[in-house]
Amino acid sequence: MKLGLLELRRKPGRFSIAGASLVLLTVLLLFLGGLLDGLYLGSTGLLRSQPGDLVVYSSDARDSLIRSRIDPEVRTLVDGVDGVARTGGLGVALVGGEVEGKDDLVNLSVSAFELPVDGMPAEVALGPDEAYADRSLEAYGVRVGETVGVGPERTPITVIGWVDDTDYLQQGGFFVVPDTWRAVLAAARPDANLPPGTFQALVVELAEGADPGAVAAAIDAATDGATSTLTRSEAVQALPGIKEQDSTFSAIIYVTLFVAGLVMALFFALLTLERIGLYSVMKAIGASTRQIFGGVVAQAVVVALVSFAIGAVAMWLLTFVLPASIPVAVLPARGVQIAIGLVVMSALGAAISLRRVVRADPASAIG
Amino acid sequence: MLAFTEIRRAKLRFALLGGAVGLLVFLIMFQQALLGSLVKSFTGALENQSATVLVYSEEARKNISGSVILPPQQEAVAAVDGVGASAPLAQGTFTIEAAGDDVDASVFGVTPGGPGEPTRLVAGRLPAAPNEAVASKEDESDGFGLGQTVTSVDGGVALTVVGLTEQSRFSVAPTLWVTYETYEALRRAANPDAIAVLPSALAVVPAEGVTAADLAEAIDEQVEGVEALTRSQAVNEAPGVASVNQSFQLILALAFVVVAVVIGFFFLILTVQKLPSLALLRAVGAPTGYLVRALLIQVAVVVAIGLVLGGLLTVGAVKGASSGLPVAIDPKALALSAIGVVVLSLVGSAFTLLRVARIDPSTVTNRQTTGGMA
Repeated sequence: MKLGLLELRRKPGRFSIAGASLVLLTVLLLFLGGLLDGLYLGSTGLLRSQPGDLVVYSSDARDSLIRSRIDPEVRTLVDGVDGVARTGGLGVALVGGEVEGKDDLVNLSVSAFELPVDGMPAEVALGPDEAYADRSLEAYGVRVGETVGVGPERTPITVIGWVDDTDYLQQGGFFVVPDTWRAVLAAARPDANLPPGTFQALVVELAEGADPGAVAAAIDAATDGATSTLTRSEAVQALPGIKEQDSTFSAIIYVTLFVAGLVMALFFALLTLERIGLYSVMKAIGASTRQIFGGVVAQAVVVALVSFAIGAVAMWLLTFVLPASIPVAVLPARGVQIAIGLVVMSALGAAISLRRVVRADPASAIG
Repeated sequence: MLAFTEIRRAKLRFALLGGAVGLLVFLIMFQQALLGSLVKSFTGALENQSATVLVYSEEARKNISGSVILPPQQEAVAAVDGVGASAPLAQGTFTIEAAGDDVDASVFGVTPGGPGEPTRLVAGRLPAAPNEAVASKEDESDGFGLGQTVTSVDGGVALTVVGLTEQSRFSVAPTLWVTYETYEALRRAANPDAIAVLPSALAVVPAEGVTAADLAEAIDEQVEGVEALTRSQAVNEAPGVASVNQSFQLILALAFVVVAVVIGFFFLILTVQKLPSLALLRAVGAPTGYLVRALLIQVAVVVAIGLVLGGLLTVGAVKGASSGLPVAIDPKALALSAIGVVVLSLVGSAFTLLRVARIDPSTVTNRQTTGGMA
């Protein structure tokens, strides 16, 4: 292993071909992973940031927030279910917002809330013309203390604070009181107007020790099937396209990792072939197959790690030039996953050469 | 022949390279098929309807689902010089029961005989009366077949399928085309509190001699609060589509570069390894063209293996991936990808070809292994 690492240090150029291929594959993998995470985070923030454990939709909405409708009578039934500590109304209107000094409208998901979402103070007191905005809107010119013209009537609403990671369907989170949301919704979509007291969904906080699955079933039973109650993570997965997105991108990532393994296998097969004579000499003077093979695998691992580091820096630089319309989010966890995948596949690829190393004949060293 | 003899003797090496190229070709082809199908399933309904100009509210930011056209705007658009005909076009998503299952379906409300009707009718006829609908052929086997009845879950409005379209889906969902009156009935049944049911857009065709682009510009100038788009703008600039296109193009470009690098670099290694032998061949009279041809043949074999393997994997994956999003192979796009791979492989091998072309046969006289004096 020591010899392998020594060779790497003395002749790094010898490994530049495999390294360059892996750097490109790393950029490709990180971009794919970043796109998957960016699409997921930008679509699901509203639901992930809710304080409740369960989300209640009307059963005919097929778990679509925009098409769901929970009337006060249904809410009363939900409130009465054992295990329900408290409920909060939730609603959303996807509209444009006019930011002072900007020509283009900014995409807003104007959301009604009754229970404070992550990042808000426990006791939130918003006026009808005030909002908490998602920090992602800062990139579009939204500032705390400034007023945004919301919806087709350009209703003036002042941003009083930031929340993080609350976007919905790639539109910036913008949290207002229920009456303001209803007014914005009616102006933007008169056909989607909802009366006072009615929300699109309910967020449910459970009593201590209550089982989420059991309470969800009890809620749907109490409403006689008028509701479809999901855990928060189920509600996230039920969002349009989330599952399909995840499976498609994950499949592409796995195939790309497999390609990385093949590239390394090919490279080390060629390298081993080139130096099979040297391996015979090393065996003749006492080196074991294990030592030689360990060196080959160590080289593959180091090449993979260095390539990943260079690729990660290249990807980081790429994020500065990518247009804002491409929702790439480079997360450390995804980076670690890809680094591990790359190292494992590289080591496996290099292991293809094991057969040739084993067959290197020490006797051939003397002709 | 030298090229084939070498391949026969180093099967593993060439199999690994062919396999790697095959998987990269598969990545490129599958993503291309996915991109094409995704865009068609997202915006096919907009692309395959008869209006060449679509007028959205400015507020909608090119998203028909978020657009509402007010009555004064309808009148103002109709009065713009150059408008041949205009009609309201409505779009909404409803829960529809088909063949016993509830599904999300996109419903378009159009004026019979007016602009905005679907143009890719493959069976039956267009809706002419209330409660008639045209469905997508892609959803025929899911309860949307000709003569079948589907029902809106909110309010129980029944719709009979009287025609089938192709490539006219919207938002990757089953898509129904109904008369505008039927759309209004669906909307009011779904939400009794609806204040009004307004069109999402105006479907417009220009008068004779007026281009769609000129008319869109005139509408934007003369009517407050609307954004007129040509049909292709409405398709290509729809939210999501532009970013999906950009993202996939970047991924495809990276994959193409990796193909060129992998092929180029590995043939370079192979060539450097056998430079002494190639120099010897040159010294005993093998012309440069012979060696270059041998290299090109090997590149061609590897690319051919890669294209066949990648093509087969793509066909298999497309068959297996047809749940939810019907992924289809566009032969033209795949042929272009294949040409791209061939060209980039040659580009990647160019340096190696140069190296082979510049081999100096006199170097053999400097090598002890070939009897020379080092």
